Amino acid sequence: MTDDWKTYKPLLLPDLPGLTDIETYEKYEGYHALKTVLDNPDTWSPEEVVLQVKDANIRGRGGAGFNAGLKWSFMPPPDGKPRYLACNGDESEPGTFKDRKIFEFNPHLFIEGAIIAAYAIRAEQIYVYIRGEYRAWVRILQKAVDQAYQKGYLGKNILGADFNADMTLHMGAGAYICGEESSLMESLEGKRGYPRVKPPFPAQRGLWGRPTTINNIETLANVPLVIRNGSEWYRRIGAETHPGPILYGISGHINKPGVYEYPSGMSVHTLIHEVAGGIRKGKKLKALIPGGSSTPPLRADVLDGLTMDSDSLRKAGSMMGTAGMVILDEDTDMVDVVWRISHFYHHESCGQCTPCREGTGWLEKTLRKIRNGDGEMRDLDLLLAICNRMEGRTICALADAAAWPVRYSIERFRDEFEAKCKQTVYALS
Amino acid sequence: MPEIFIDYQRFEFEQPGKVLQFMLDAGLDLPFFCYHPCLSIPANCRQCVVKAGMPVLNREKGTFELDDKGERIIRYFPKLMTACSLDLTDGMVIHTHHSDPLVKQAQADNLEFILINHPLDCPICDQAGECPLQILTYKYGPEGSRFEHKKVHKPKAFRLGPRVVLDAERCINCTRCVRFTDEISKSHQLTIVSRGDKNYPLTAHGQEFDDPYSLNTVDICPVGALTSADFRFKARVWEMNQTPGIDITNGKGCNTYLWTRDNLVLRITPRQNDHVNSHWMPDSGRLAYQRFNENRVHRPHIKLDGNDQVRTSWNNAILTLREQLEKTEASEILAIGSPHAPVEDNYAFRKFFKMHGVSEFFFVPDIRPGSGDGFLLSDDQTPNTNGVRLLDFKETTCKNLSSKIQGDKYKLIVLLDDSLFDRPDWPAIDPGNSYFTVWATNHTPTTAAAHLVIPVTCAAEHAASYVNVDGRIQRTVAAKETRYTNRRLNLEMSMGRLDHYGTQFDNWVDEKNRIDCIPAWEFFKKLDAEARFDWNSSREVLNEISRTLPVFEGVSYERMDTLLGVPLSISRNTPVDQKKTIEPKP
Amino acid sequence: MAESFSFDGKDLEVIRKILSRYPHKEAAILPVLWYAQDKFGHTSPDVQHLVARTLDVPEAHIHGVVSFYTQFYEKPMGRHVLDVCTCLSCQVCGGYDMLSYIEDKLGIRAGETTPDGQFSLQSVECLGACGYAPMLQVTNKQYVNHLTPEKIDRLIDDLKAGIEPSFESMPPKQHEKDNRLS
Ligand SMILES: Cc1cc2nc3c(=O)[nH]c(=O)nc-3n(C[C@H](O)[C@H](O)[C@H](O)COP(=O)(O)O)c2cc1C
Ligand code: SF4
Ligand code: SF4
Ligand code: FES
Ligand code: FES
Repeated sequence: MTDDWKTYKPLLLPDLPGLTDIETYEKYEGYHALKTVLDNPDTWSPEEVVLQVKDANIRGRGGAGFNAGLKWSFMPPPDGKPRYLACNGDESEPGTFKDRKIFEFNPHLFIEGAIIAAYAIRAEQIYVYIRGEYRAWVRILQKAVDQAYQKGYLGKNILGADFNADMTLHMGAGAYICGEESSLMESLEGKRGYPRVKPPFPAQRGLWGRPTTINNIETLANVPLVIRNGSEWYRRIGAETHPGPILYGISGHINKPGVYEYPSGMSVHTLIHEVAGGIRKGKKLKALIPGGSSTPPLRADVLDGLTMDSDSLRKAGSMMGTAGMVILDEDTDMVDVVWRISHFYHHESCGQCTPCREGTGWLEKTLRKIRNGDGEMRDLDLLLAICNRMEGRTICALADAAAWPVRYSIERFRDEFEAKCKQTVYALS
Repeated sequence: MPEIFIDYQRFEFEQPGKVLQFMLDAGLDLPFFCYHPCLSIPANCRQCVVKAGMPVLNREKGTFELDDKGERIIRYFPKLMTACSLDLTDGMVIHTHHSDPLVKQAQADNLEFILINHPLDCPICDQAGECPLQILTYKYGPEGSRFEHKKVHKPKAFRLGPRVVLDAERCINCTRCVRFTDEISKSHQLTIVSRGDKNYPLTAHGQEFDDPYSLNTVDICPVGALTSADFRFKARVWEMNQTPGIDITNGKGCNTYLWTRDNLVLRITPRQNDHVNSHWMPDSGRLAYQRFNENRVHRPHIKLDGNDQVRTSWNNAILTLREQLEKTEASEILAIGSPHAPVEDNYAFRKFFKMHGVSEFFFVPDIRPGSGDGFLLSDDQTPNTNGVRLLDFKETTCKNLSSKIQGDKYKLIVLLDDSLFDRPDWPAIDPGNSYFTVWATNHTPTTAAAHLVIPVTCAAEHAASYVNVDGRIQRTVAAKETRYTNRRLNLEMSMGRLDHYGTQFDNWVDEKNRIDCIPAWEFFKKLDAEARFDWNSSREVLNEISRTLPVFEGVSYERMDTLLGVPLSISRNTPVDQKKTIEPKP
Repeated sequence: MAESFSFDGKDLEVIRKILSRYPHKEAAILPVLWYAQDKFGHTSPDVQHLVARTLDVPEAHIHGVVSFYTQFYEKPMGRHVLDVCTCLSCQVCGGYDMLSYIEDKLGIRAGETTPDGQFSLQSVECLGACGYAPMLQVTNKQYVNHLTPEKIDRLIDDLKAGIEPSFESMPPKQHEKDNRLS
């Protein structure tokens, strides 16, 4: 990796004060992308916007990394009945704290992106689902939305075009699972956040049974960039198969934790040691959780040459997730950390599917037993067996997300787990 | 015709549908809990997983790609699929536990998960013996458990409502009960509360689960989490016989099962009939079991002098009534049929008195507008109003009938099983000066007033037909023995496991609970001094009805059994042409 | 005798506005529960009853919803609720130490309320402030980042004095002077 990043100018969170104010935002080309689209419906038909965004290959920043334009193209042709865009600001995956930066420092970029997305998928209603704990950020975003209404970027006949869009902010109330797209829709509809069985997919039957597209906040914030500069320009930013700017959230045992915006494909070492100031107290690195708690932890010794993009991370045995990087130093008790992650998933399982409802608790209880020094060697195999039984057997991916950290921690840090277990040998009785 | 391959066997399907339902219809086995054919499909129990794949289509040629051996190349879904939510698709290939070890393993794994927090309650659980969890665990489950932690604790023996008790620890969170109140009874009284492994069903705070259909949740709960407050701890399911019946507490005629032990009906549950009640029945109909057991008229009762009735012999009862008939003019007999009594009994009643020259027959329907709900509770409080109408009984009211009784015209009142004096609009209890004979199943204020009470079999003791509010004729099967019936000899009775394998010392040999009563038609046969009736069973009575009355043409027990009742071509507002409908044989 | 709760004309106006944003009234359940909790301090059974009646939705449904989401208080809580994050990043940065510091200071365990009803303490899952760990949230409102015992002492004194913490902005690190590249 070269030092290019040192001269990188942030696009999502530019260093411009006062962007929350719509006039300031407008000064820096704000809402130009929307204007471009709406003023030139011949060149910028909804289909064309979808094509451009698809071509730009904005990979979903909510965790799954799915091409946003491709997702939009799954929306069926309009039939005159309502269709929806749901923006996912639930941001509850441990280690992830980036979408709130967009709300706080560049809300209009997201709003503009969401309006363009609504135009592209021909939806007139945009719901922004934001975790209930982010009340302060909901306030900030609401102010920006109000301004956008005043300026005519939201509402009826936006910028004189034959296009209407309403944006409604909807607060969650403390449930990680509501970040899962179908659970989010249930929650928006005023229900318990039980993920839905797929198929049907949201594009077929989403909110209130109507076609719906769900995108992460950061994903949508990338959209105006593509419209302004073209998909080719966008694709040249960062890693080839996972292009664009990324909000890296760095936390844990790190000197300068925080959210940093750099191109995708940044070297992990650069991010840890140069960007974020290195490991706290001069300690050595033990492990990296690269993209939020559900991405498998990586041992420090596999990080050489590793870059933050899905290909590189997949090869190393993990995932990009939300790019919420949790840094764990040499003193970290991996058993304790994995137990706490399991505690999280146990607490957050919605409880509708058997393997997840029962498995998350079983994992946590077994890990707690090991952590407390009561574990036995066979418990490690039991843990792996439970993981086997959870993965791929449930309605949503929470069960997988709960199993992976356990499975891969045991695989990659087995010595630590064994050291905690009683070294009992069972004699045949 | 589209086709699907299940465990290498080819099936054709016509209608779109789900794989699990298709397999159940085809008689194939697959374990499942949360799926119910009448409810939405949450696919949450994850028990019905199968391996599923589709043949690879060559889009250009429009044909399926073949491998070296000429077999279709199948692309399998990366994950196991839940058969309950999987659409039947042309060419689809399914592997169940019969042909795929991974599926078999997954089914066992899932049961292991379900059981980790499930209490070891089977020995004290009402559901044992008819519990899908118990059955499927025996069949598909793992052996033993590797779970060595404390189980999650939740409310036990919690009164959810007046009729339903919840044991939340047994709940497997299939949400069937909640879906039932949301989608079928629409009372929306239940919800799942809390989250994750703390989940369990509950009502709103301080609210009772008093849905008039609440007990259906007990039926569909696949475990012993929901039990009937009334039936709890009364009997083990394997000690009981299960006989098809009809709900006689209102006009809908929900199909039921009567569960008997020791000649007592212990509970009533719905029996599926998609033409009438689907899988459901109202709670009120389930309580009818009490009237089958309790307060029954046992042996004929006669009033000698004063108001006290005493038991008497059948012979004496017959002779007494014959005497009354001899000294009474036909025009002085007031004959009242009953919408509570079956078609056969009303027919025999009418035929007998018609032969005696009686020309007018009355009955009082018990229809209370507004008491029905448009679902399974009808305004009609009786099971056979239409049946009595079709037999050409004249509809009258309590008021009219009571004034007839008070008058001097009638010397003999004959009333088939109907407790008229209990009706809210019955003006006076006094039966006037006439000789008052009633046929009855239970002691009531009406029987108390009678001079002669003939005990007749109830819906749990006879095979007999009822025409419901929609004009569907359906029949019962005798579930409990009377003094004069015997399960092992009487072919019209259902035979249970106990009948086949029971011994002398079994519960069945209990004389106590056998009521001394006979079907009304049989009584009239005995009553007729000239022995003009040749019926030997209610089946023969019905055959005669269907031969002689055009509306009943083609109706038989066999057809009612195979078609789950036969719709009669009547509409409630069409009066029945007298001459055509009834023509008693000489 | 249960306290009775009601919405006044102004409240109903707000609720009407909320309803106008959605095609189905059920979607207003979460926003209206939030509104009710802000007004009454909790979403106890009586408040659930009020919300169900106001929106004309089944009360059991409201019960199911309230009990699913951890931010709704089915039981009245202390005047200030301290939600200390002990999840992943906070855990490894001393979240549990902060929790036990508060436990000792207030003399209660996580999940309890002080006898004077001033403080409730909870150990909660990730609040999306992992870079500012350890941290806590006060009564579903402001985040207090980079906790230290001193900062906790000050916070609790302030809260006792009726001073709510104010919003702490956490600008992207990149923009900080020492990080900015010339
Ligand atoms: C358990 C679970 C939790 C999730 N939480 C979030 C979340 O908090 N925020 C988010 O944007 N996506 C979350 N996702 C991913 C969403 O389901 C969905 O893929 C995403 O919002 C799509 O947007 P994108 O394509 O723009 O990334 C979660 C997924 C799962 C399975
Ligand atoms: S996998 Fe877990 S969180 Fe997802 S739907 Fe199933 S039980 Fe709920
Ligand atoms: S009580 Fe029974 S029916 Fe209801 S969710 Fe639990 S297991 Fe299912
Ligand atoms: S029956 Fe298919 S998942 Fe429950
Ligand atoms: S782990 Fe504490 S805020 Fe994320």
